[in-house]
Amino acid sequence: MKKKNITLKATKINGLPWILPAFIFVVGIIYYSIFYTFNLSTLDWNGLDPVQTRVGMSNFTKALSDWVFWKAIRNTIVFFIITFVIQNFLGFILAAILHTKVKLATVHKCLIFIPTILAPATMAPVFRLLFSPQGMLQDIFDTLHLGITVDWLSKPNSALFILMIVAVWEFTGMSFILYYAAMSQIDKEMLEASRLDGAGNFRTLWNMVLPNCKGTTVSLAMLGIIGALKTFDIPYLITTGGPNHATEFLGTYIYRQGIRQSHLGYAAAISVMLLVLAISGAILINKMNKGDEK
Amino acid sequence: MFEIRSLKSKVILQIVLLILTIPYAIPLVQMFLGSLGGKGFLNYKAVWDTGVVPIYFRNSLIISAGVILLVYIFSMTAGFGFAKLHIFGKEVFFWLILVALTLPEVILLSPLFVTFQQMHLFNTFFAVILPVAALQLPFTILLARNFNSGIPNELMEAASIDGANVFSMFWYVILPLTKPIASSIIVLTLINSWNTYLLPLLFLQSPDKQTVTLLPQYFQGEFTNDQTKILAAAVLIAIPEIIVYLLMQKNFEKGMSAGALK
Repeated sequence: MKKKNITLKATKINGLPWILPAFIFVVGIIYYSIFYTFNLSTLDWNGLDPVQTRVGMSNFTKALSDWVFWKAIRNTIVFFIITFVIQNFLGFILAAILHTKVKLATVHKCLIFIPTILAPATMAPVFRLLFSPQGMLQDIFDTLHLGITVDWLSKPNSALFILMIVAVWEFTGMSFILYYAAMSQIDKEMLEASRLDGAGNFRTLWNMVLPNCKGTTVSLAMLGIIGALKTFDIPYLITTGGPNHATEFLGTYIYRQGIRQSHLGYAAAISVMLLVLAISGAILINKMNKGDEK
Repeated sequence: MFEIRSLKSKVILQIVLLILTIPYAIPLVQMFLGSLGGKGFLNYKAVWDTGVVPIYFRNSLIISAGVILLVYIFSMTAGFGFAKLHIFGKEVFFWLILVALTLPEVILLSPLFVTFQQMHLFNTFFAVILPVAALQLPFTILLARNFNSGIPNELMEAASIDGANVFSMFWYVILPLTKPIASSIIVLTLINSWNTYLLPLLFLQSPDKQTVTLLPQYFQGEFTNDQTKILAAAVLIAIPEIIVYLLMQKNFEKGMSAGALK
């Protein structure tokens, strides 16, 4: 009886003072910015002019008929799908290999993971050189007399693809480390049983290991969608969204419109749409995940 | 995960691994070789002699330390409050914080740009520390709450029988027990705040306030596109990060994977 009272007492402590500072801090900065963005999105304003012209929804209609906006959306979708597949395939295979007894496992692990901790901003000059005619790839091609010119970053068709390679280089470490952790949880006996049934390595990997890592794949899909929508550093620093908007993303376009060209209202309208996309993406994946569990 | 019996398949697996990981080394090799082009190691001397490298490092350290401090204090207290204490409308507060989880930082650009100008926060570390911490917190609070929920209530009851008030409960029971998640939170926040680029780009205009992520751009102006020196600067930025990673490998991997699991 006495014990019960104490339990109640311990959990009846008012926790509000414990969460309030964090709550005010987060909500203060983030919600303030979101509401401010909503407000800005109905203005035609350069950020300095004392005159703010209210233009209603026209920034939104302008975006919907802006081909660069749609190009950015298309790029985001293509970027997400391709990087998601390649990056997770590599991460999964590498995790499976490094769960087997191999030589120099730690060295390989470090090689895969180091790109993840280096800032895209640090590596951008390296990639600009690597994928230019002055870079190492060109030297290798020249030595082999392949007759290929490395000018992919200046060609609209290949520039986006190069950025995807950079993103895969950067984030495979993330997929790898998550799959690696998930694989440590898998019951070894289950794999043994599958092998006794005559399943080979690849069958086991595909039929037993991959389904058991489903939670990880869903997390990585969520991270991938949000990451694709957030993409800024890599295109901004390597191609500045060019050539001719071929590598434009929502982030770089918002920056270009809002900061470079001082179209704050227009940038805010695109930000609002980006916010809606980010939240619906997260909800969608969560729903899919929960639906499958039933 | 693979079952390898014969020597032949062992060798094949090793070769496949090598082929898969070589591409990850190529940019690093290019970075190092490129930095030695032209004048060789003198490129490093030229970069170092500008005297700005330590300043940029100091600035990044100050900003990361500030962000980590805010994130640590707020995640630990809020994680404890949300998991263990009685709060009216708890889930509403929590949900309001969680919504911010998916927020791309670029959305904050225009509002903060205007507001910081009005508040004269331009070119101060606060202009970067505050938004970076606010963007990091929804996730770390979620992590801290989940971890705290796993701590048995009996431990708190025992402390309360011994006469502990809520603050000493937090200090002597919760804080020591939440060390694993705290270290993940710190590493995750360190990586994110150290690598942050957009907010410093926008809010830190003078070179004595800028962070290491802006260093390559500074040298682009300084050496008028002499690639070799820019790459030497990139190597100087990367080396401390790689060393810290190698020293704390386990912590980094744990922190990054905490960064993705819901």
